[in-house]
Amino acid sequence: MPTMIQVENVAKTFTLHNQGGARLPVFDDVNFSVEAGEALVLAGASGAGKSSLLRILYGNYRPTAGKIHITHGGRPIDIVAAVPRTVLDIRRRTLGFVSQFLRVIPRVSTLDIVRDPLLARGASAEVAAERAKAMLARLNLPERLWGLAPATFSGGEQQRVNIARSFVEPSAVMLIDEPTASLDAANRDVVVELIAEARAGGSAIVGIFHDEAVRERVATRYLDITAFRKA
Amino acid sequence: MTLHVAPGELALEPAPLLSVAGISRFYGERIGCAEVSFDLWPGEVLGIVGESGSGKSTLLRCLAGIDKPDAGEVLFRGGPAPLDIYSVPEQERRRLMRTAWGIVHQNPRDGLRMDVSAGGNVGERLMDRGDRHYGQIRERALDWLQRVEIAGARIDDRPRQFSGGMQQRLQIARVLVSEPRLVFMDEPTGGLDVSVQARLLDLLRVLVRDLGLAAVIVTHDLAVARLLTDRLMVMKDGRVVEHGLTDQVLDDPHHAYTQLLTSAVLGA
Repeated sequence: MPTMIQVENVAKTFTLHNQGGARLPVFDDVNFSVEAGEALVLAGASGAGKSSLLRILYGNYRPTAGKIHITHGGRPIDIVAAVPRTVLDIRRRTLGFVSQFLRVIPRVSTLDIVRDPLLARGASAEVAAERAKAMLARLNLPERLWGLAPATFSGGEQQRVNIARSFVEPSAVMLIDEPTASLDAANRDVVVELIAEARAGGSAIVGIFHDEAVRERVATRYLDITAFRKA
Repeated sequence: MTLHVAPGELALEPAPLLSVAGISRFYGERIGCAEVSFDLWPGEVLGIVGESGSGKSTLLRCLAGIDKPDAGEVLFRGGPAPLDIYSVPEQERRRLMRTAWGIVHQNPRDGLRMDVSAGGNVGERLMDRGDRHYGQIRERALDWLQRVEIAGARIDDRPRQFSGGMQQRLQIARVLVSEPRLVFMDEPTGGLDVSVQARLLDLLRVLVRDLGLAAVIVTHDLAVARLLTDRLMVMKDGRVVEHGLTDQVLDDPHHAYTQLLTSAVLGA
């Protein structure tokens, strides 16, 4: 299978200028790659830098050193060195990030939130709406909520809206941070199925899962990032 | 030879819409802004943040053709040929400002004619660019009032009868009706109540996306920058201290000043 992510010599140190220039080294010399159809699960104790690594892969945090090639439009592009509009284009068409939190935009309905990624990739309004509804139903979100903005939803409901939005059209590369944190068992099962389906469709997945049972069912491979801890 | 274009490149346009090189503006000994350079691409939204006096409004005025910089050039590629906006006669620059781009002022009174009806405020921009058919102008004005969520029945009212939030939405309709490719906004939500701000922000977000506008937005509000902009420039003492993708700058700030700015707000 083609390589979708290639990480080379990535290091991250946070420098806190307003706290006496304190330096917080996170990891050093991280190397790995992920192929299409794989699900790499990041392991390591809390604070080892799993979330930081995921954010670096997304181009959200900037590494102190190293390269990250994401295969975009058939070519590897270094997301660390890419200009902003290229990073945004990679995110729009290749790279998705699924967090446990939904960033709520005032007044935008649940259905529109879930439909949006399909529209951005060129689907017609009708097709997008049908698929969005099917996904919301699958995640057991009551139909009476679909027309409402999720600002007042519970944590679990917001999380399901976020998952629906991310999996309605799985990206070629998906970065997943604790997607099942506040879900019940039935919905957790749906998320596990969605990840398996995305993988079967050729998505490369990198994820963090605290729930051990979920982790075991999702992972095709583990990477313990404690090994890259700075000495 | 066949030219192979990777699918990844097809979505990107070939040239920036605006190229800014070495803009400086001084007020005697004091620096307004110094040595600012960047490119703005079609459809891109750039935010400029910084505290009061950081030079962000001065920079915006230089970019928008309102205030001639002491050094540097602003190259606009929205027309048939690239245009250095400060090398052309004042008249041509003014024509450009009225037709090819738009300016949304913080205070709607600076962008509206308060003694002219709402419909007249919007229609005037169409007449500026040569539209003459009264019925069509009124129809388009009505359409735009509704797009910015002003009831059509208010078309003959004067802006001074409107609330602050409505005045700001009217100003936005007046700017966007002529279909500019580039819009400059100076604190577009400043001076409005929080609930009114949210509505205006959502409206701006949708309009910018649907029209594929390029925009430069000055704000001191990082949440506004997060919602509306793709890229962010952080200014301090007239200079750009950090510049990058908006979420990078806000989530992993590198410069001491940006770290101070982002840590001083709650949940931006």
